[in-house]
Amino acid sequence: MGRKRIVTRESMLGTIVAAFMLFLALSTNFGTVSGLYSMMLDVSPTIVGAIALSLLIFTGNIDISAGTILGFVGFTAAALAKAGYPAVVFMSAGLLVGVLLAGLNGWIIVAFRVPSIVVTLATNMVHIGFYVTFLPNAGWVLNLSRSFTWLGQGRFFGVVPYIFVIALLVAAVTIWIARYTQFGKTLYAVGGNRQAAIYAGIDPDRTVLKVYLLEGLLLGVAGILKATTANRLMPSVFQGREMIFIAAAVVGGVNIMGGSGKLLGAVFGALLVYMLSITMIYMGFQDYFQFALQGVLILVAVFITVTDFTALRRRFAGALARGGP
Amino acid sequence: MSTERVRSAPRFRITYQTALLTLMVVLVLVFGLIEPVFFQPDVLFDVTSIVGEIGIMALAMTFIITTGGIDLSVGYILQFAAIVFGVTFTATGSLPLAILLAVLCGAACGLVNGAIIAGTRIPPLVTTLATMNLFRGLSFIIAGTESYAGFPEGFKKLSTTLVFGVVPIQFFYFLALFLIFHLFFVRGSLGRILRGIGYNEPALIFSGLRTKRTLLLIYTLSGVMCGLAALVYLGRLSSAKTSMGNDLNLQVITAVVLGGTSIMGGVGSVAGTFIGVLIIGILRKGFTLLNLSGNIFNFTLGLTLIVALVVFAALEERKKVSGARMRAQVRSAPVGPPDRAAPRGEAGRAPGEISKVQ
Repeated sequence: MGRKRIVTRESMLGTIVAAFMLFLALSTNFGTVSGLYSMMLDVSPTIVGAIALSLLIFTGNIDISAGTILGFVGFTAAALAKAGYPAVVFMSAGLLVGVLLAGLNGWIIVAFRVPSIVVTLATNMVHIGFYVTFLPNAGWVLNLSRSFTWLGQGRFFGVVPYIFVIALLVAAVTIWIARYTQFGKTLYAVGGNRQAAIYAGIDPDRTVLKVYLLEGLLLGVAGILKATTANRLMPSVFQGREMIFIAAAVVGGVNIMGGSGKLLGAVFGALLVYMLSITMIYMGFQDYFQFALQGVLILVAVFITVTDFTALRRRFAGALARGGP
Repeated sequence: MSTERVRSAPRFRITYQTALLTLMVVLVLVFGLIEPVFFQPDVLFDVTSIVGEIGIMALAMTFIITTGGIDLSVGYILQFAAIVFGVTFTATGSLPLAILLAVLCGAACGLVNGAIIAGTRIPPLVTTLATMNLFRGLSFIIAGTESYAGFPEGFKKLSTTLVFGVVPIQFFYFLALFLIFHLFFVRGSLGRILRGIGYNEPALIFSGLRTKRTLLLIYTLSGVMCGLAALVYLGRLSSAKTSMGNDLNLQVITAVVLGGTSIMGGVGSVAGTFIGVLIIGILRKGFTLLNLSGNIFNFTLGLTLIVALVVFAALEERKKVSGARMRAQVRSAPVGPPDRAAPRGEAGRAPGEISKVQ
């Protein structure tokens, strides 16, 4: 392994996040109990979702239907809870729905060798059409009782939401998986160089299918975490969440072309994206700015990870030596 | 419908498009049998008014997908251009200025996409996914939830006129643009360059072609088309607001993929896109006539896209297999090039039969 580097991308990101937090705490009510509580509440599903998407992006795939899968997970859990089933049943049903839907995406991608972005764009549309048309009340479930919301609204010591602890646990486990298990290494291998991975004895199709199943499980968790924070559920609220997840992942240094990046970065990315958006709210910008912000954020972050700065610098240095560009 | 296409695979290009045409006729017949109103000329031709905006965007999208790229932002460029048109017209009252600015706005958005895609190594998928949100945000910032209406009759006439009393004028716009795009695609060098980029971009670069320039051109072209499509769409809708154009991305991509343009790049067909667009229009009109909601339409559209992708992937696989079979034949042929040495119809045989011949 060699010497451990202290100045990594992740440690720098962490410092930026910490500084940003301190700044927000000093200048707004962010530092108060309610500010911290609402941050942890909002950021927990984003952390889990960003991790789910990052794992996919490691292998060079993506899932545009992540937002609508969350909607289905939330609906399943909420509808079953409303029907009086115990927590174990509605939660495992939610997780199962996530795994099935993401697994379906993965199966189509692997079996027919079609690009993930187009497939998931299509399934995204299928999902929206499905829940608006076929689910009762377009998937709305109202007046959910405490038996559903105890998870999302419960907190330790009056500050730390249960779901934040769960999100951190998920983060810890997935970071361990990505870093220390064979499966984690194969993800990077498949995304980095598919052909080399095949020669190394890895079956890329199996890996991609597995990572979609894992993504589905994580989306199931994120969906339940998000859904249980409110006593009513509208699947349409989840539409477009995938953009936040992708933004968090790429801001955290996950290379959109696959093959590199760290989950810890994605966690910091989730925090950073959240703080940027609340800063905009504090500054009095409208909600609409969020769309534009996400777009710009993704572009800038991707540009920085994709560009080979060393080569660029060398080129400019060469041009300067020759007497201007 | 999928099995039919797969079974008739061996002569690919021709059969794929005839299958598509058959599918189109079948769809018309099915809708017509369920709802006889569908056979009335004005209803049938109304299909082409619906596809005015999708078709115009799909033409440029065919170029882009042929290069192996994609533009997910088209619906939102259309939205942005429409908002710019609405705002300009409301502010100044000048129609030519508004039209000019709308098209320029489309061109500028396309240029942004093209510059990022050609200038950096960010993949088109990610670029346009990001710019999609950017353009959406921009039109929201300009317009909020307001809507702009009250355009002059002369402008509405541009897309509500019926030629010969039945055919919507959009069809002629679409037809004219289609012919231009088709000619460029099959006649000039542009079509070959586009397919070349899709197959093997480095090879083209090493051959001295400036592929970056071509990419910049086609993404900008796509933006311009979105601007034009916005004008056609606005003439029909008569009010510009930020909810328009939201679900057009998928319709445009579906039309192109359905038309036989490979999402992996390298293979494209503007003529196929033409039929693909008409099929989308027929589906939409049929669904409206049957009183099915837009969401069922989107649902079906998503499924259609998946089926089209899968069928096309299966066809490609077949092509590869048959290509390998042909090469095997070439290798085993005793003398001369295979087309002379092998009797006609050899390619249609199974590999087992070929070995028996030898």
